[in-house]
This record gives sequence, structure tokens and C-alpha cells, in this order.
Amino acid sequence: MNALSFNLHEVAVLAPGLTSFAELQEVFRDNLVINNAEPLILAVPELLPPNERRRSSQSVRLVLSCISQLAKTSQFQLNEIRSVFATDDGVGEVSQQMLEVLSTTRQISPLVFPNSVHSATAGYFSIAYRNQKPSTVVSRGLESFAAGLLCAVIETLTVNEPVLFVCSDPVMTHPMDELLPITQPTALAWLLSAGDSTAPVLASFALTIESDEQLCTPLPLWIPKEWRSNSASYGYAALELLASQSQDFYRLGYGAQTLKLELIKREPL
Amino acid sequence: MQDAVFRQALHNQIGKLGTTRVGLVVGTSTSGIRNTEIAYALRKTEGHWPEGFSYQHTHSVNALCQFVSEALGIQGPAVGIASACASSAKVFLTAQRWISQGIVDVVVVGGVDSLCLSTLHGFNSLQLLSNEMCRPFDRTRTGISIGEAAGFVLLTQESCPVQFLGGGESSDAFHITSPQPDGLGAQAAMYEALEATNLMAGDIDYINAHGTATQSNDRAEAIALETVFSGCDVPVSSTKGITGHTLGAAGIVEAILTIEAVNKQILPPLANFVQADIGVNLNLIHEARSASIKYAMSNNFGFGGTNCSLIFGRGGR
Repeated sequence: MNALSFNLHEVAVLAPGLTSFAELQEVFRDNLVINNAEPLILAVPELLPPNERRRSSQSVRLVLSCISQLAKTSQFQLNEIRSVFATDDGVGEVSQQMLEVLSTTRQISPLVFPNSVHSATAGYFSIAYRNQKPSTVVSRGLESFAAGLLCAVIETLTVNEPVLFVCSDPVMTHPMDELLPITQPTALAWLLSAGDSTAPVLASFALTIESDEQLCTPLPLWIPKEWRSNSASYGYAALELLASQSQDFYRLGYGAQTLKLELIKREPL
Repeated sequence: MQDAVFRQALHNQIGKLGTTRVGLVVGTSTSGIRNTEIAYALRKTEGHWPEGFSYQHTHSVNALCQFVSEALGIQGPAVGIASACASSAKVFLTAQRWISQGIVDVVVVGGVDSLCLSTLHGFNSLQLLSNEMCRPFDRTRTGISIGEAAGFVLLTQESCPVQFLGGGESSDAFHITSPQPDGLGAQAAMYEALEATNLMAGDIDYINAHGTATQSNDRAEAIALETVFSGCDVPVSSTKGITGHTLGAAGIVEAILTIEAVNKQILPPLANFVQADIGVNLNLIHEARSASIKYAMSNNFGFGGTNCSLIFGRGGR
């Protein structure tokens, strides 16, 4: 296969101790380590109508907070953009609430049940931004960032429109965290396009699927141990390509294969 | 296609192309949550998770994806799509994009959802469950009957009796559970499907509607169909009166029924239908009958306002 070439225009990141792309750039520049950060307080999504605002889960708030960070300076119209949402388990908190009720009264709340679908975040995004463009929710366990990136890049190449790619890992509330240890929330949003673009480009990449046995790039040391079960961490790590003087590719595990994300060119950060 | 025939066809493709040139895109809504329902209840009574219980191998969306990959010997790219009741319709469009960009030559697309307490009691909480037989588009319809299903289709670039031609997707941007009352999102998906396949509304010979038999879905979808296919008198049915609403598997089940309709040149009927809804002017199919079907559409819509329309056609186009 030919490499899939794409542009990265804009980035947002959201996690405890990491509340902007500028902060992530400081981590890269100053070799900072993120440890013992304050818990993330997720804002109520102001763009949603009052009913949806009240009903929004922590997962929805995580994703919409991350996108709103991007929206503040975006050159793109977020009401007219296709989107791909990736998550390992985007509904752990809601599942736990329902499982608790199902093990007792079985009286599930009609306000909770709609949030139990993985596409709830995409739905709230479309409502908040009045976005009627297609949106797809994908999952591939800890490799959800890799799978989502591949789907988003292929979509932007095929339809020749920019694509908003969001990867998120909301916290698995207790006791679900015993099954999937996501104890701190992480999220990222990338704005992608293919071909020539008039919008500012942070970097251009080539994405290749490799079938021969290759070693994946390990997560860097600055990624806290609490994030190592989170799929978005691999996206944070890949962003180091924007700053690194020595590294020009990042290799992600993807099932029996690997995804090689290779830097073609970048703007100075 | 029967399981043995499907497996043989896949085996032939893998033998010809290699395991890594075959991809997998599988849709689900709840995956294996039933296992966690049972395990969670046991944890409450016994204080610990059942021995050997693994979320990653049962409940996770990826559990389904990983299991199917291993069971079918697929080592190419694989992904789970979890876009509610449109999940396993959208698999066709993701697969089509993968093939068009050359990352694979062949894709197994599919969908799976099994019965569980979460959806049964969840839909009951929304007062969307029917207390009798499911009657899509009927005036007396009272809601959905939840079903369970699994289905798979092998997408290749070779000539075959029925082809997947393309589709359209959209978002409602309206409400998490209710469709936009005029079916604007559904209309957008259908218009995009027609545009993607270079077809006119009048070219479509059969529509397998989403037709859940809830008041709001069927009303909005009927308006959308009447708008997009105005003056075309296209035969329409929803097969959920027979299959129930298989949620994340609805897309693949109804795609397969639409493929079979084209393949066998038979219009599948509505089940349990008694009388038309007031003001609905669809050409509803009341009994199975032979017809010339060159092109057919299958619609699926999901929570979050996610919509998908697929178009299939006779081979040799």
C-alpha cells in the first residue's frame, strides 16, 4: 500500500495536569514529568441546551471540554466538519450506574440509559455544534487511538474534507476500574485534512500499515503510570514528533500489524 | 450466505491475498455487556468478580472485534464501530473507504448484538417497548421488540450477483434519543447515498426502512421517505416485525435482507401490519411478491442522531 499522507492542523489535549496543547509543548521542551496533578474538573458544556447539559455524563463533558479547547482558536467551522470518535470504553461510568441498578431494582433511569451508547458523545457534539455531518465512533481497546487515527485519515483522504478526530478515555468508576484500570481521564482532539490546504498546518505525516514484525515505540517516561492503560496516551506520545530533534516516526501497535506515523514536515513549535 | 459457504469464500480470499490483506469492520451497540451484568450481580453477593471473568474478552467492543479476527484468521486492520443502531450499517462505508485507499483488498463486515438486561430495561424506561407484536408503520404500533442477531458479509472487488454500491451518513444534531420530527437527518443520509451512487430517487426499487415501530421514528422516517422519494411510489417495508430490533446488528441484518431481496427479486413484506398510519402515503409492502429490483436502499438510524443509508444493486452494473 502507498503511505496515507495527511496534515495535522490543530491539537487539543485534556488530562489532569495537561489542559492545553501549550502545556504539552512545555512538557516536550522542558522535559517535564506529569505527576500528582490536580484532578480534572470538567466544565458543564455551555453549548448544549439546558436538558442535555444536565444529562451530560462525565464522558460527554470530557470530550466536549477537549473540543471546546480546540474551538477557541480553530480555523475550521466545527458545525460543518465530519468526525471520528475513538474510545476503549467511553461509557464505563454509565454502564456502572446501570449495572448497579440492574443488580437491584432494575429501574433504569430514562435519563441515564441514552448515555449508555458509545455514540452519546458524538451525538452531544452534533447537538452542541449543530453539526449535521457524519460522525463515526470506533473502538479497538488500548489501540483505539491507532484505529481511530487510521479511520479518520482514510476518511479525510476519501471524501477530501477535513475531519475532526477525537480520542478519549473517561474514568472507569469503581468497581469497573478493577476490570479496566482507567483511573484518570485523558482526551485529545486532532484536526486533520489531506492534500493542499490553505489553513495553517502544524505538521504533515505519512501513515503506513506494516505487516512485518516491528517493535512498537514505547510510551515515553513523562506519561504518568495512571495513563498507561489509556488509548489517548499514544496520541500524546505521537505528538512528541512535533518537537523531537531525534525522532521522525512513531510506531503504534495495531492488532497483528503496526501503524507507522512518519513526520514529513513540521512547523517550528 | 450460509456459514460454511461464507467461511469457504473467505478462506479462498485469504489463500489468494494473504491474511493481512483482509480487514474486519464489525458493529455493535452493547457487545457482551450481558456477561458483565451477570458478573456484576455475583460481585455484589460474593464480594469479588467471578474467577476468570475478563471484561476485555467479553464486554469490551474490542472483545467482539478480537474474537472475530481470531475465529476467521484475519490479520489485517480490524475495528469495532459503536454508533448505536446504525453501527453495522456504517461498517459498509468504512470498509469501502479502506478498500478505496488500498489498505486492504477484502473486508469482512458484520454486526452483533445479544439480548441483555441493559437494553431491555433501558428501552422500557423510555417507554419504547411494545407490549405486543412489533408493527412497523402501523397506526396502532406501540414500540419496538428487541431482538438479537449476528451477521457477516464478505466485501470483495470481484463481480457478484449483488453489489454494495455506496451510501450516505449524517447526524441529526437534534436530540439524543428522538429523531428530528421531519426526518431531516434521515433525508440527508438518503440524499448522500443517492449522490454517492449516481442514482436518482426514481431508480430505487425497494427500501428496507429502519422502521422500529416507535411512534416518533416511523413518523419521522415516513416524512423523510415521502420527501426524498416524492412521486416515485417506491415499495417500502421494515423487516423488524419479523426480526425484532437487533440494535447494533440491525444494519447488517437488514443489509443482508436487502441483498437477498435484490438477489431473489422478491419484496419482503411488513409483518403484523393492520392499518396505515393517518397521513402516511408510503407504498408499504403487505405481502411478499416478485418484483424487478435493480437497486435497493437500506436505512438505519441510531441514538445520538446518527443516520446511515446504504444502496445495493444487481451485479454487472
